[in-house]
Parts: sequence; structure tokens; C-alpha cells
Amino acid sequence: MKVYDESSEDSETTTGSDRIKVGIAEYQVASGEVVLTTSGLGSCLGVAIYDRETKTAGLLHVMLPSKAESDGDNDAKFADSGIRELVDELEREGADRSNMVAKIAGGSDMLDFSENGSGIGDRNAEVGRRTLDQFDIPLEGEDVGGEHGRSLRLETATGDLTVKSANRESVTL
Amino acid sequence: MKVDIQSLGTFNRLAHEGAEEATAAMCQMTGLDAVVDVTKITLMDRDDIGEQLRDEEYVGVQFAFEGELAGDTVLVFDREGSRTIAESLIPGGGASDSMARSSVKEIGNIMMSGFIDGWADFLTATIEHSPPEYVEGTGEAILPDRRRPDSDDADDGDGADTSGQNTEQIFVFKSEIEWVGESVSFYIYMLPEYEPLAEVMGRHGQAQGDAIPVDKLQVFNEMTYDGTQRAADNVEMMTGIETEAEVSQLSFAPIEDVPKQVGTDTYVGTVVEFTGVPSGFLMVLFDEDSAVHIAEAMMPIEMDADGLTGQHKNAIEELGNIMTSGFVDGWANVLQTSVDHTPPRLVHDMGRAIVDPLAAQVGQHQEHAFIIDSEMRTDDIAFGAEIHALPNETELRQALDELLVDRADQTDADIEQIF
Repeated sequence: MKVYDESSEDSETTTGSDRIKVGIAEYQVASGEVVLTTSGLGSCLGVAIYDRETKTAGLLHVMLPSKAESDGDNDAKFADSGIRELVDELEREGADRSNMVAKIAGGSDMLDFSENGSGIGDRNAEVGRRTLDQFDIPLEGEDVGGEHGRSLRLETATGDLTVKSANRESVTL
Repeated sequence: MKVDIQSLGTFNRLAHEGAEEATAAMCQMTGLDAVVDVTKITLMDRDDIGEQLRDEEYVGVQFAFEGELAGDTVLVFDREGSRTIAESLIPGGGASDSMARSSVKEIGNIMMSGFIDGWADFLTATIEHSPPEYVEGTGEAILPDRRRPDSDDADDGDGADTSGQNTEQIFVFKSEIEWVGESVSFYIYMLPEYEPLAEVMGRHGQAQGDAIPVDKLQVFNEMTYDGTQRAADNVEMMTGIETEAEVSQLSFAPIEDVPKQVGTDTYVGTVVEFTGVPSGFLMVLFDEDSAVHIAEAMMPIEMDADGLTGQHKNAIEELGNIMTSGFVDGWANVLQTSVDHTPPRLVHDMGRAIVDPLAAQVGQHQEHAFIIDSEMRTDDIAFGAEIHALPNETELRQALDELLVDRADQTDADIEQIF
């Protein structure tokens, strides 16, 4: 039997397990009182999808716009295939596509050295929007572009997506 | 010995899976939650291993292994991490040193057997390991004796000695594992002896195609060290503060792990794109405190405001530019190609967010990346700078292909003049 006292780390661990980190080219789905976080989005795009009814939420951190244009077999690395995977996973967890809403953040232009055409950040956001549209998932909020990095915090209980940056005020979508 | 990109990728995945299995074993026993954050293969100077373990107290478990591969493996926890583990096994156990020690040993044993077995399975060979040994120490002293066991010949190491120091370079597999919801991490280091590893890598790689001779990777590492020293000399010239190149290493990791090479703290610095063979990106990054200190050392007058101002940033931009030039010129001269770079772009943001767009640009064409890291420090003031380069992998291979090792030997004498 576990004993909880002041010297015990257990209570912290329990709190800790309610916060799930999402790495680059990964997604996570959770329900209940859980916080999903991801950090260091530059041109990467964070996609949060939330089912209001079941209070199930998922957060995806993609690096590049389209799977067809690049090498790699990890679907979660790309906006188009990543969103598809995330929606499938949410449905497996009991969410209903007709109740889903989405928010996106990231896709910054910072340090984009490409000389012509739009940068990766722009294209990530554009492919993200288009893919959500194909799934008929309404986009309820976005904080994209600009020249700064972002970190995200998605609360599964409310669907609130908080966007933090190094040198500016946080915003909640 | 040649090593190809595919076998580096395979070995990286193997180390990562081994670390994941080891972590899963620990989570199952303790009920704690931890995830493997990053695994990379690094070619570095033997003396620099463990540079990430700054002056903290660590405890761990060490094994020697032999067979198809030989060397040492160490699992390293910081003190707090070891107490968390002890507490999860026996409530109240965290308070007692001896209980913490036996818990770490027990957990370590289970974790590391899985890790080594994974390698043996992949290699379809036997790897024996010694009983676990409990170790403790401060910083990098936790790691096994970093000199060669037969250190009589330590000076005639595998690499050419261009800097007057012992430059024996070895491959290190390192995984960083993070407790979920805690700020502490632990590490698995695998330090294989060079020869058996080289043989295994050679066997698992393709003889032709995209193979890179390992001696050229070593030469490249030495160039990076010299380039960094040149950049450090430029810092010294501009600020009057004696600055030394400290660590130079070449790592190989999946592209999505590249941004994790830099911390989540805020950094100030410059980024350029360089073109030529190889092309890629070069970052010169200072933590915010270092940026303030070094910028003030460059300014003739006292600053009125605290913290990082526009004037500080201008000074950093100038410094980043001159450090970049020193570094890139060094490469170009040894590779005997021309390497041009864009004007520096000033950045001030979270470290990972700075690297992220660069990794994405490189990642459009490759799944793994070489990352060149170096650091410089000074004893005079609290100051540290990191240089990271992210070259195009195919072009780096081409550049190395064209680099004649005898020419690298010839350039030994020149390097002093070049840099």
C-alpha cells in the first residue's frame, strides 16, 4: 500500500501523469481532466481537435505539409496524413466527427530562407486548414504565421488552447 | 572502415528501442511515468563524453559488456531521480541512502539487461554483461574512466592530432529519458569500444553507395573544433575575454529529434544559410545571460537599462557574424571549396523553436540529419556560446568523399594558418 506523506513524490507523479507531452511528429489523444502540451513550434504546426460532447481531445505536432512531397513513413510528421491519423484515433476513442472542432497554431515564417514561393510554415497552415475542411471539421481559432516560436497547452476538459511565446503575452483560443 | 547512412539510422533506432524497453521496464516496476526523449549517435572526443552532465550529483548503474560488441553501458540518474525511484519501490525508501542505492541497482539491472538483449537480438549474437555495479559521482565523473584502458598509447589515437590534444574519437549512443511531469531526466550512455563497433557497422552497412569512411568523419570533427577555436578567437579579439573552444561533436539523429538538441530556454543569436558543398544552416546561440554579458563586454559605455536591449542585440548580431565567418571559412579552406553564407538573421526565441524551421527545411529531403555541435566557454565571466550546423546530408557525404584524407593530413600544418 502506498503511503502519501510530505516526503512522498507520489502525489506529484499523479498530477504529472495528467499532463501529456506531445513530441515533434507525434500526436496524443486524451479525455477527462488532462492537459496536452507541445513546445518549440517554429514553422511546425500544432493541430488541436476537440469533441465537445465526449470531451475527448487530441493534439498533433507536424513538421511538414504533405506526405506525398517528402520521404518518411511517419504519418504524424505531415499535416495532411497527421490530421487523418488524429481524426481516426479520436474516433477510436469514442469521439464523433460531427462534434469535432479544431484550432491550429504555429506555422511561423521565422528563419525561412526559401527565396521563392511560400515557406514551410505557411504551407503547413494551408494544408492543415484544407485537410480539416475535407473532414468537415470547423476551424474555430488560429494563431499562425509571424516571426516567433510558440508552445501549446490544450485542456481536454474545455478544449481551450493556450499559445505561449518567448517574448509576448499568451493567448487562449 | 566505412559506415553508411542506412546503418547509422538502423543503429540509432536500435539504441532508441533499447532505451524504450528499458524505460518501460522501469515504469512497470515503479508505476512512474517516463518517456524516451531523444536518442542519438555521436562521434566525439573521448574526453568530452558526459559534457551535458554539469556539476550535479549523479548515481547510476554501470555494466561492462563483451561479445559481438564490447564496452560499457551506464544508466545515470540525478539524486532526486534516484530518490523518486526508491520511494516508488518502498515508501519511505527515498529517505535512506542505502535503500536508494539498492533500489537504483535493482531497477538498473532490469532496465539494462533489456537494453543489452535488444542489441544481441538484432545482431543475432551473444553479448555477455557483467553484474551491475552501483556508481556515484559529480558530473561526468559518473561515467567510466574515459581514458582508454590501455592508456599507454592514448596519444596515438585513431584521429589525426591537429590541436595538440589527445583527439581519440569514439562513438557514443546516448538516450535522454524524461520523467513525465517532472523536470528531471536520466540518461543511458552506451560506450562501445571502437574496433568491434566499427566491424559490426561495416558488416551491417553496404560497402558501396552512401557509405562514409569513418576516418573522414573524424577529420571533419577536428575541423569543427578548429573552426570553433577560430570563432572563439574572434570573440576574444572583440571583447578581450579569453575564450576557449570546448566540445565539438558530430551527431546523427532522426530529423524530428533535431530541434531537441537545443533546450527549451530562450536563446539569442544569429542564423545563416550557407551554400556550396555542403549547404545547410549554421546557428550561433547564446543563452540570454551570456548574451547580456558578452554584449556589455563589447560596448565601450555602461548600459542604462537592465536585461537585453536593442543595443545588446546589435552587438550579438555583429559577434554572430564574425563567429560565423571564422567557422565557415575554416570549413571552406579544409574542404577546398567555397562556402558562402547569407547575412546573419538575428533570433531571440525559445531554442527549439529556432531550430525547428531549419530542421523542417532540411527535412524536406532527408529523414535523418547530421548535426554538428560545438561549445565555447570562458572562465572570466558567465558566458557560453553554442554553434550548431545542420548540413544537407547528401552534400556532406559528397564533401567528405572529395576530402582526401592525405590532404587532411597535409592541412594539419596549414590549419594554424587557415583558422
